[in-house]
Formats: sequence, structure tokens, C-alpha cells
Amino acid sequence: MPTDSLSRTFAALADPTRRSILARLAEGEATVNELAAPFSVSLPAISRHLKVLEAAGLIVRGREAQWRPAQLRPEPLDDAIDWMSERKRTWDGRMDRLEAHLRRKGSGR
Amino acid sequence: MSEASSSDEQVLITRIFEAPRERVFQAWTDPDQVAAWFGPDSMEAPRERIRIDLRVGGRYELTMVRRDGDGEMTIGYEIVELREPELLVLRSDPKPEMGMPEPTVVRVELHDHGEKTRMTLSDGPLPSAGHAEAGWNAAMEKLAASLGR
Repeated sequence: MPTDSLSRTFAALADPTRRSILARLAEGEATVNELAAPFSVSLPAISRHLKVLEAAGLIVRGREAQWRPAQLRPEPLDDAIDWMSERKRTWDGRMDRLEAHLRRKGSGR
Repeated sequence: MSEASSSDEQVLITRIFEAPRERVFQAWTDPDQVAAWFGPDSMEAPRERIRIDLRVGGRYELTMVRRDGDGEMTIGYEIVELREPELLVLRSDPKPEMGMPEPTVVRVELHDHGEKTRMTLSDGPLPSAGHAEAGWNAAMEKLAASLGR
């Protein structure tokens, strides 16, 4: 498991089942059984996915042993979105400077 | 003229430059010129710390130094595709400490519009997103909507 939180977020998001689970949780909290229903995978497999999501801080789970409903916790996603925006800003800035550089050099070469 | 967007898996940028593509290609591949634009305003990319071995498999490396002297950052790529003056594809060295445990690919395409050049640049994929396909987009969109973005 990656150690820094952004890597954990992206690693957790890299799996299609986990993304589907998050999309389901965006509509409201759900139990393991409810989350497993749309998939052809076992409950233990869903539980493992939930552990990964929990470790990445993308979900929190209730305390009641019987149900332990999972809830979406969106903050790490915001970090991931911020990371992408930051990267785009970096390239935009570079391209502004490249444009200025090409202008400075003019047609004289 | 500029237009930029960011998909879920990679950064996409399209630009029109007022220069023929040979000149744009040189600006990307001649260290003297790269030094003039690559670093952000707070940093400079000194010419002597740029190394571009212009061939497939060659290195494309630069170290940016903060103008206040407080710190530096090295960015390294391997050139994976090269077609002068229309294509440059760079694969970044992984930087786990920066949240990038896997390489990303920067693809620069230059399209000929006579005295102008249309450049498309993509940089991605997201670290660890790997084979994240349509599911990523759908889930991300749904989540983003639910977060009111």
C-alpha cells in the first residue's frame, strides 16, 4: 500500500469495483450486503474493497457490528481533483511562457 | 489563442502558436530555448542543467532552481517517440515522493497550419489509475456532481 495519502487515494480509485462502490455511496450510506448486490463477487471480496477505501480515507464505517454502514468521505477526492487542476495549471503556465518565447524570437531565424 | 481542458485521466491542452511548427519543435528540443520557458516564474531552468539527448531512448532532463536559491527540483523523462517536427513523446521518471509512483506520458503533437502551429499536449494518466477506463469517468462525474462541483 502506498504511504502518502494522494497515492493511497489514486490506488484506491484505480479499481472499477471500488469506483462503483463510491458512486453508490455518493447516493447515501449502504451496508456491505447492499453494496455487494450489483456485483457478482463475494461479501468477503466487497469487505476487502471497503478496507482499502477506508484506509484511503474515502469512506468511514459505522460502529454497529451487525450493519456497519459505509459512508462516503469526499475530502481525499478533493485532493485528487486539486492535484489534477494543479498539474493543468503548471502546463498552462509553461505554454504561456512558450508562447511568449516564440513571440520574442519573432520570425528572425 | 488558447483552450484547455482536463479529462478525468489526463491533462489535455490545445494551443495555437504564431510560428511554424519547425520553430515550435525547436523550442521544445533545443536546451537553449527550453531554458527560456520551462520553469515556473518562481524558478529558473539553468541552461547548464538541461540535458536533451534527442533520439528515441534518449534522456530529456532538467533541473529547476528556485530564484530565491531555496531549493531545486529535477524533472526527468525518457524520449519514447520522436518525429521532427511533429511529434515528441516523453515518459516521466516515477516520483513516488511526489505522489507519482508510476510514469506519466507527455505527448506533444504539432499540426501544420502554415505560419501557425496547433499544438495538442496530453499528460497522464493519473498515478495508479492505470487501466481505469470508462468506470472512472462515470464514477468521478457522479461523485463530483454529488459534491456540488
